[in-house]
Amino acid sequence: MSIALFVSCFVDQLYPRVAIAALDVLDRLGVRVDVPGGAACCGQPPANAGFERAGDAALRQFVRTFTRYDTTIVLSGSCAMHVRSHAAALEADGSRVAASTIEFCSFLHDVVGVERVATLNAKRSARAAVHIGCHALRGLALASPSELRVPHFDKVRTLLETVQGLTFAEPERQDECCGFGGSFSVTEPDVSARMGRDRLRDYRQSGANLVVSTDVSCVMHLAGLASRDGQRLPMLHVAEVLSGSTAAA
Amino acid sequence: MTPSRGLPVIEPVVDHAAAAARFNANPDRVTWHDAALWFVREKRDQAVTEVAEWEELRGLASSIKEHTLSRLDEYLLMFESAATTNGAVVHWARDAEEHNRIVYGILESHGVSRLVKSKSMLTEECGLNPYLEARGIAVVDTDLGERIVQMRREHPSHIVMPAIHLKKEEIAETFAAQLGTEPGVSDPITLVAAARGHLRERFLDAQAALTGVNFAIAETGGVVVCTNEGNADLGVALAPIHIASMGIEKMIPGTAELAVFLRLLARSGTGQRITVYTTHVHRPRAGQELHIVLVDNGRTTQLGRDGFWRSLKCIRCGACMNTCPVYRRSGGHSYGSTVPGPIGSVLTPGIDLEKYASLPFASTLCGSCTAVCPVKIDLDAQLYRWRQIAVDAGYVSGKKRGAAVVAAKILARPRLFALIGRATRVALRILPRSLVAAVAAPWSRDRDVPSPASQTFRAWYKANRASRRAGKRQ
Amino acid sequence: MNARESIIGAIRDAKPATVARPDVRTAVGRFPQRTNVIETFAESVALSGARVIEGKRSQLAELLAAAYPARGRRVSVVEAVEVDDGVSPHSFADTDVFICEATLGVAENRAAWLPLSRLRHRSAVFLATNVIIVVDRARIVADLHEAYATLDVAIDGFGVFVAGPSKTADIEQSLVIGAHGPTSLTIVLVDGAA
Repeated sequence: MSIALFVSCFVDQLYPRVAIAALDVLDRLGVRVDVPGGAACCGQPPANAGFERAGDAALRQFVRTFTRYDTTIVLSGSCAMHVRSHAAALEADGSRVAASTIEFCSFLHDVVGVERVATLNAKRSARAAVHIGCHALRGLALASPSELRVPHFDKVRTLLETVQGLTFAEPERQDECCGFGGSFSVTEPDVSARMGRDRLRDYRQSGANLVVSTDVSCVMHLAGLASRDGQRLPMLHVAEVLSGSTAAA
Repeated sequence: MTPSRGLPVIEPVVDHAAAAARFNANPDRVTWHDAALWFVREKRDQAVTEVAEWEELRGLASSIKEHTLSRLDEYLLMFESAATTNGAVVHWARDAEEHNRIVYGILESHGVSRLVKSKSMLTEECGLNPYLEARGIAVVDTDLGERIVQMRREHPSHIVMPAIHLKKEEIAETFAAQLGTEPGVSDPITLVAAARGHLRERFLDAQAALTGVNFAIAETGGVVVCTNEGNADLGVALAPIHIASMGIEKMIPGTAELAVFLRLLARSGTGQRITVYTTHVHRPRAGQELHIVLVDNGRTTQLGRDGFWRSLKCIRCGACMNTCPVYRRSGGHSYGSTVPGPIGSVLTPGIDLEKYASLPFASTLCGSCTAVCPVKIDLDAQLYRWRQIAVDAGYVSGKKRGAAVVAAKILARPRLFALIGRATRVALRILPRSLVAAVAAPWSRDRDVPSPASQTFRAWYKANRASRRAGKRQ
Repeated sequence: MNARESIIGAIRDAKPATVARPDVRTAVGRFPQRTNVIETFAESVALSGARVIEGKRSQLAELLAAAYPARGRRVSVVEAVEVDDGVSPHSFADTDVFICEATLGVAENRAAWLPLSRLRHRSAVFLATNVIIVVDRARIVADLHEAYATLDVAIDGFGVFVAGPSKTADIEQSLVIGAHGPTSLTIVLVDGAA
């Protein structure tokens, strides 16, 4: 089975340590992955801003790049959801790539299995607020959303429970959006900033001294706000925590 | 929608972001508004917990609505036939103007000058009040929230809780000025008692009552009205003329289906198991006339839109507004439309795309609205689709379009992306923070720009891993 | 072309491909069955701001007298028909207590069904300051699905589910009991007559 890792534009440019950590985790779990250089972006940012056709060029490139793999792991809930929802319409191979694209935490939980992930022996003493990006949460079923009356599950939390020393803070609002929303962050800056600050306040008041997220775009937004307000709160991607990295945002 | 005398004029093009900015100029007020609506979302969650079959009910309701809409012509005709047999007069209105003319015609022919009206978003959509007032008919909105905004000459900001944007002190001020209550007395019990006394007289001397319709039952020809205050019922029980105005999408097949919707409606909208009154009107009282006005006003156009017709499943519960983090922090008025929030943002662009093009963008596409919708409207997917249409129609600024197209071209070409990325990262490192912030102005007004990594992942990978890979078996 | 033809024509042109009518009865039959129906009804009533009084039907008169000592005009459709059909709906404006008996009660949401035949007039139940509804324990159903399967809601031309005293939360979400309709509701729950 051939597996590829897609490193999204944000991660490549601004948070490479997330991808480095992910590779480390996959390596140690015995999962060999290729990191083909053929695609830079899944096309979601322009598509969500209303420029779907412009984003399609990037998405086509994504499909072409990853069509030869059985599984493509994506380090972002937003990207994974975009590919899974939209690739099928694009090209002949689009549906196959859509179906074989999987977000990183889903891959670890569903394919590798929590027992094997526990063998990483990750350690971190911290009280973590788990921030699952909305697309990962409601679009990829990474956890049971607070709106639905379904049996509770949380794949990300389950993975993080393998980390020794990590405890969990419970924010007042379980899964309210952080307010990034791609171009929303600049077209509706007031509401976006307000949503982010409210989320940060909730995390702080819940006693968290670390935010662990599935999406660096959320992190970029929240960390940017926290830093501007002079109230830094360390933020890491799930991969970084599982690989035992010590660097923080 | 023609602006009424004295009511705030709705601008030609709604700029949600600008309105949201004004709303956020008062952060404490945003905190209060957000908390008030989140509280209603929490009540909804508690009510939902009690219903083990909640998700099945939603699926059932969605299927019932899709079925009904796919045969709407048959059901409307079935309803008309049954209602007419019951003694009601059924009218058809293609648009808002026709609806208003029909209602006025009924009132005028009976010499009515005093009308009481219970909650009807449809009549708000049609601008009925100013139309009738301009023709000498006094209209009193009897739902307390609606009466308050009517007295203040404002538009409602929420379809279920019209005065949710107002503090009790503001309401007290209005009541003191117009009802003669003691200034400064703002406890809700006193205010409600004052409204009760004031409106009681209106009910008793009303010459006609107009109600909305929550559900119309095709098989029996009846209309169902759900209220907590009893205001719709007082109007209907006392006035010699009852006019029920409804959008054609309110139709449902029969009473077995009605049970499904009634179990979902109040729980979704306010967290109640059921509203205090669920009134079923099939025949007029002895000596009373019952008129039912079926209104299109753009609904058949929406029905024909492949990606959007499912928005007509809406039962106007308001749950999407209560859960929407953007609505809660920008207020209903920032949408400039009769129906605000997520459902408003997928309905109103269909009515006037140029005017409402900003609404589909007033969202992070978080999907919470879709998850609470009792009839499973794919709200986030429809918001996304409207964005594409708004951009194609040219209702997004040229600057944005240019920037997005360039960005997309770069993103599609990995080598170009790497080149530009490198240049950007170098620039970010060596340029003064203030200059960077100025260039990235909308982002950096509130947020710091992330420090660029000294080396991209790809560069790291090439340096550290690519050579390792080359020798290994795949 | 008149409006009716125009609208129907527009629908025929626009409507999506037919979606089959779901079998509501079968779907509902798969829902978890509710137990403790009568207890749920009583507890539900209490949550709505209404009162519950329980007793035997043979003592109904005493129960009603105790339920609400009327200070003013008392209109009862249960004990005696005090009104004739020609009277105007406005004439009930001064009613202090209105008493009627429901056809059935719904446990999940403590709603009581009052068709016109049990109300005699539409206005009294809304104009009265206080309302007392007699509910027979044997006529309590689990939920609205059962209720609508049992009822013919069209038969009297008018009917209403009443689930509490009138109320509003339109002022800063503060719940106030007694909006425009009655300010109190008492349910008198009596044992079934076999």
